[in-house]
Amino acid sequence: MSVAYLRGAVARGDLEKVIRFVRLHLGDGNEAVGKDEVDRSWVEAVKILLREEPVDRKFIAGVLEKDESTLALLLFHLHFYLIRKSGRWIHDGSR
Amino acid sequence: MTAADSGALPTIDPREAGTQLRSGLWKTINERYPGAMIRKDSFVPQARLANSLSQSRLVMISSCGVHLKTDEPLDVCHPFGDFRFLRVPSSAKHEDLIIHQLKYPHDDADLDINVIFPIERLQELCEEGVLGGLTPNFFSFIGYNMDPDKFERTVAADIAQAVVEKEHADCALLAPA
Repeated sequence: MSVAYLRGAVARGDLEKVIRFVRLHLGDGNEAVGKDEVDRSWVEAVKILLREEPVDRKFIAGVLEKDESTLALLLFHLHFYLIRKSGRWIHDGSR
Repeated sequence: MTAADSGALPTIDPREAGTQLRSGLWKTINERYPGAMIRKDSFVPQARLANSLSQSRLVMISSCGVHLKTDEPLDVCHPFGDFRFLRVPSSAKHEDLIIHQLKYPHDDADLDINVIFPIERLQELCEEGVLGGLTPNFFSFIGYNMDPDKFERTVAADIAQAVVEKEHADCALLAPA
């Protein structure tokens, strides 16, 4: 998929194509694995919060004042961070 | 077909299990990545080498994502790719370099960077006189990229300009990853 392909899908409101892209990207080419990866990162976030440790809400508020593009990319970084934390790493490259 | 292709999830790290190469992925890339295949109708003709290799200065350009350990890594998490490149001093050694990538296995290259970025082999060819010299810097970027038009306008154009105007290369070795 290319950015042009995704722009076309978004313009047509064909969100299934975008969802598929996200799953393929996160699953390294396997949609089912990618879907599982999304679920796993959320599960990992819940597991961490269950430790009920102190959190820095001021930091979060400051981060959320950043521009949308930075925050959207941050979501992908957080996904990979949480997947690494989960102990399962399917990707071929850097752990 | 691997465990990942069947949807069954591996229970151990595929890098350690030796199952990281997913042959099914490449056989079905068009089906899995509709719109992924990029067609290009215009080509830049290859230039003939003006002098022999022993009188030429060579630059290496690679999509492998290798960079100096001291450099800030390129962004491997961006879903569209990172439209930046890094310079790698041509005098660098294996121990100076690191691979930062998500999309291809590099266990072997971690042991010997020359597997994918043959920088020390090129240094040896210079010492032997096979090559006239190396440019001060080589170039590296992340091959995973979803916008080839933007890539051509940014990374490719900027590297090409640097190769000609700053590195004064006579020829280039393109090393894909």
